[in-house]
Amino acid sequence: MRSVVVLRLVVLAAVIGLWQALSGPVVDPYFISSPARIASDLKDGFVGGTLARDIGVTMTEAGIGLVVGMLSGILIGLMFGFFPLLDRVLEPFLGAVNAIPRPALAPLFVLWFGLGMTSKVVVAWSLVFFVAFYNAYQGVKSIDQDVVNAVRVMRASRLQMLRIVILPAVFTWVFAAFKLSVGYALIGAIVGEFVGSTSGLGYQLTQAQGLLDTDRVFSIVVVTGVLAGLVLYLAALVENKVLKWRPQVSFG
Amino acid sequence: MEGSRIEAASTVERGEPGGTPATPHAGGGERPLTVRDLSVRFGEHTVVEDLSLEVEQGELVAMVGPSGCGKSTTLNAICGLVRTGDAVTVTGDVEVPDGVRLAYAFQNDALLPWSTARRNVEVGAELAGVPRSDRPRVATELLEQVGLKGFDTRYPQQLSGGMRQRVALARVLAYQPDLILMDEPFGALDAFIRMSLQNQLLDVWARTRKTMVLVTHDLTEALILGTRVVVLSPSPGRVHRVVDNREWGEQRRAETLRSTTPFLEKYKALWETMIELGAAQRTGEEEQ
Repeated sequence: MRSVVVLRLVVLAAVIGLWQALSGPVVDPYFISSPARIASDLKDGFVGGTLARDIGVTMTEAGIGLVVGMLSGILIGLMFGFFPLLDRVLEPFLGAVNAIPRPALAPLFVLWFGLGMTSKVVVAWSLVFFVAFYNAYQGVKSIDQDVVNAVRVMRASRLQMLRIVILPAVFTWVFAAFKLSVGYALIGAIVGEFVGSTSGLGYQLTQAQGLLDTDRVFSIVVVTGVLAGLVLYLAALVENKVLKWRPQVSFG
Repeated sequence: MEGSRIEAASTVERGEPGGTPATPHAGGGERPLTVRDLSVRFGEHTVVEDLSLEVEQGELVAMVGPSGCGKSTTLNAICGLVRTGDAVTVTGDVEVPDGVRLAYAFQNDALLPWSTARRNVEVGAELAGVPRSDRPRVATELLEQVGLKGFDTRYPQQLSGGMRQRVALARVLAYQPDLILMDEPFGALDAFIRMSLQNQLLDVWARTRKTMVLVTHDLTEALILGTRVVVLSPSPGRVHRVVDNREWGEQRRAETLRSTTPFLEKYKALWETMIELGAAQRTGEEEQ
């Protein structure tokens, strides 16, 4: 395991080194930037600039979208599980709405909810909700009738049934897709910022693009990549913790 | 909510949710289970017809019969999992006195896959009203009793079929039931593990004197475990014959009992009965 980490660092250093070496003589840093220029731009961004605040804004939007999306998805998923008629009636509509690429709706959300955080939270929510909803619903449907019966025969109250059987099954399924949800929340927030905003990583990216500031574009991309990697790593830890009763899956 | 409670203590007919207890004291000398003229129909199809059965305190009754004779349906009707509804009509009386707690062990262990062995057993204790602080101790003790010492923190997926079935048994025991229904609890296990679990069940039964009703299609298992073996006839299921096994005594072991002469004689007679029933069923089908 340790040697793998070392090898990864070697690969990373090689790529960065090669990029830096080729920058100037071979590739034009105006278009491709260079590790040194990105580093210096990042320093400016963090020390004198607003980068830290932008990260905070984007993460807050994604975080709220994630939590609200998961909670509402679980709630509606449970309702579908308990009232099969809801599924039979609404299933095609939900499928249709889910088929709409949500980023395409981002302009509408910005129009309705303004340039502030709310519109980005809504975009993130609209992506996370369906993941949580479908998994929660699947979780309810996946519950083994024998398990329900065994607990029911022991005279479990409805609340006990919910706590002992139903909610754990639902959480298991919802958290199995936690990594996916986290990724969607981040995408939702950034896409929302692309469309119209006054701060956040997506906002900085569009600004830098407009000014043809390649260094800044690259540093935002790097920051976004590192953040997403970090968040997904944490999400994988959560997934593996929650699902430790299952045979271990790869970290992917 | 009372609505979801199974009123095991009430008759099928007055299966009102939240009904007031009719008998204040129970569990004691009362007969834990009386079934009178139980019939179960799924639409036009009669699965169980006029089945009557009296199970005394401390008995281990084995119900045996060809597949499709309504053995499982009978158990499900006893514990209220099958009751009159859209597609089902249940008539007759199932009487389980109010103080008698009932638990059910399934062929499929029906464990919570996301919970450890101990937590699974704790669920039984929780539903029995054992205080939270006592549950881990109760669960650990019971797991030890079924031979799973040290497996507390394993998840069902990490256990073999036989071990899972023992966890399920420990969960049932944690509920402190007076009457245990078992539907082919060892059906999915190989012959060796099956025999060792039969012995383990006999141990538990001899120690706790719980009343048990076990459904099986394995004649050997029925004859070894049952103090009484109830033979059901197929389509529709009704009591065809009862074999009294009280002579086996409480200390019987699966591996020795099955090779004794009285056992082999009873087995042969039971086998012939089953052949008759099978033949009767085939004739019945040809007539249709």
